[in-house]
Amino acid sequence: MKIRSTILVLFTVLVAVLLSSFSMVSAQTDTIKIGLGFDLSGAESSLDLPASNGAMLAIKEINAAGGVLGKQIEGVSHDTRYDMALTAQVAHQFVEQDNVSAVVGFTDSDSVLAAGPIIQAAKIPFITAGATSPLLPSQVGDMFFMACFGDNVQASASAEYAYKNFGHTAYLLLDQGVEYTTLLAGYFKTRFEQLGGTIVLEDTYADDATDFSTQITKLRALSTQPDFYFVSAMPYNVGPAVLQMRQAGIDGPIIGGDGYDTPDIVSVAGDSANNVYFTTHALMDPDNGTDPIKKFFAAYSAEYGHAPENAFAALGYDSMNLLADAIKRAGSTDATAIQQALLQTSDFPGVTGSITFANGSHIPQKAVTIIKIVDQKFTLAQELVPEIVAPANPESTETPTAEATASS
Amino acid sequence: MAGRAQRNGTLIVLGALLIFLISLSLSGSNFWQSIVINLGMYIILVVSLNLSNGFTGVFSLGHIGFMALGAYISAILSLPLSQKALYLPHLPAWLAATHLDMMIGSFPLGFLLATLIAGLVVTGVALVVGLVLMRLSGTFVSLATLGFLVIVRIVLINANDFTRGSRTFSNVTQYTDLWWVYAWLLVAIYMVWRIKFSPYGRSMFAQREDTVAAQSVGIVIMRPRLFAFAVSAFFTAVVGALWAHYLTSFSPNAFYFDLAFSIITMMVVGGMGSITGSIIGPILITIISESMRRVEDLTQLYGITQIVLAVLFILVIIFRPGGLFGDREINFAAIWGRLRSGRGAGEPKPQNVE
Repeated sequence: MKIRSTILVLFTVLVAVLLSSFSMVSAQTDTIKIGLGFDLSGAESSLDLPASNGAMLAIKEINAAGGVLGKQIEGVSHDTRYDMALTAQVAHQFVEQDNVSAVVGFTDSDSVLAAGPIIQAAKIPFITAGATSPLLPSQVGDMFFMACFGDNVQASASAEYAYKNFGHTAYLLLDQGVEYTTLLAGYFKTRFEQLGGTIVLEDTYADDATDFSTQITKLRALSTQPDFYFVSAMPYNVGPAVLQMRQAGIDGPIIGGDGYDTPDIVSVAGDSANNVYFTTHALMDPDNGTDPIKKFFAAYSAEYGHAPENAFAALGYDSMNLLADAIKRAGSTDATAIQQALLQTSDFPGVTGSITFANGSHIPQKAVTIIKIVDQKFTLAQELVPEIVAPANPESTETPTAEATASS
Repeated sequence: MAGRAQRNGTLIVLGALLIFLISLSLSGSNFWQSIVINLGMYIILVVSLNLSNGFTGVFSLGHIGFMALGAYISAILSLPLSQKALYLPHLPAWLAATHLDMMIGSFPLGFLLATLIAGLVVTGVALVVGLVLMRLSGTFVSLATLGFLVIVRIVLINANDFTRGSRTFSNVTQYTDLWWVYAWLLVAIYMVWRIKFSPYGRSMFAQREDTVAAQSVGIVIMRPRLFAFAVSAFFTAVVGALWAHYLTSFSPNAFYFDLAFSIITMMVVGGMGSITGSIIGPILITIISESMRRVEDLTQLYGITQIVLAVLFILVIIFRPGGLFGDREINFAAIWGRLRSGRGAGEPKPQNVE
């Protein structure tokens, strides 16, 4: 009997929490509310958590400097757990319960596509910190913006860099379980073959793979090894894949996308990660980085007690500042005014490079940072704007067109 | 007398549900509706999973595979032609020209057809798969159905022309609302209820308790198992269709271990073999999960919900291995009797009493 009443009391408390939380909503009305939608505890959290931290840091700095339009910014954060039904629910919560003026969030296209249409239907501006699929603006709508470059841009950059520095034959390995890795590999292949390069062997692995021996055996069976290896992988696969390739005696250059930008690669692969290259948004290096990076590095370390985990921290920070800048220029929190101000963003100085939305595009023109891993350290290989960018829609039959990508 | 109480009780619950749904839809709150819609879909999933796992004891871990198939099949059928040309340019001609968008007034008949076709195709798949798998029992069937889930995922990822592979399938029209979900929920519960209390249902329970004893008195094993598996696959596929036309975008990742195990948690907490438990389980988990979300937002301790749910699951396994309800169902006659005698007025669920 005692246990039962205890359980009953506990349950009543839970229900009370659920109901009471809504009476506390909007105690302060003189703030500008921004929804922060990130996966804080699920499979994407190694990218989303730093991004969320970056956005929170930006809010803190903006508020310390007096806020925007004379008001403080209030970040409303909800964990989406990489659960798409919950992500849609959180989007409704931002729109309805929290009455946010804009939403910043996510580093993957699944989450953006689950939340985006709901935020779009409510006509609220939505900036993604790190979802890099260039198809997103056409899938979500005109209130949606990206703070990062598209995958076609980074894949074209790595194709051009590798073609010039490593050689003209490549091995292509991709995780076929995820949109990001599939698109990235496709864009790389398009641009590399257009340059005149040859993919000597193309192979795939399952997203939950931990053992790459089948793929490596096939690769080693080649009569001559290709000049380099493009491995399109998710953050959790990068370490094991690189380690196992190196252990099998494959020591040529391995190159990949911003999924490599995680501390895991060095902690798992150790010295095997030498001669690994990847494209990303910025080099998080306090010594060799640009001035904004040094400043961000110091502020982030002071706030959280450790260095930024990866470039997504900076992207979260940039997205928030980009939004605050647009609100400032719009002079109000009216959605259309913010959207117009965002569209007119030109040379906004972000940590991850200068951001310009040109010709009505919702994807910024940004330079790609290519990183080389040397002795377990990320070092800058090159900053690159690709000469030609592979078309965003891989199904389109058009030939790649030269795009006037911005100056870096 | 007991039969009348049961009928009246059912009518009262249905009436309360109707009033709740009407007031919810009048309130215009998409947020609360989204919680209740998700809950409704979970209940259908758990009720239909229970038909197979709870009633026949064939513990399937692969049902989410049926949901994935239901989602993809219905979405391909209902995708507008212009979107099809854009996102699925390599579909076979007959499929590329198919767009189920018939409307009767404002009623999307095309969506209903797409859902039914998806359900029936998946039932066919379940019959074929079940013919082999339902001969197994215990751990073997769990592993084999888990294998089925993995196979479905790999097929979806590789059937690029039909599914866009691993890329997100997006721009599905949103048809699913409260009424669609709860209409299907009532159909599912009614069907499963009728099956449970039919001779067929009794034979399911009999062979679950003791296969050899059941066989020795002439109860057929295979047919009821296959029947339960197929019917539960049908409703699971229907939820897939509802899910697809509610979220409007999804990828093969959405239908994998995470979802499979959260459904199983809800089923085990509610009670394997109880329809009432299959309804109470998801409600309980949803309330705990939503409340914990507020606690997380207030304390900034993200992730404790999963810990709380895991602890709850362990506690249920230890102290109530049969779940809250076991095999039992809600008994309105008993509640009525208790209320009349004035003893259990504060306890709406006397089933919990030992």
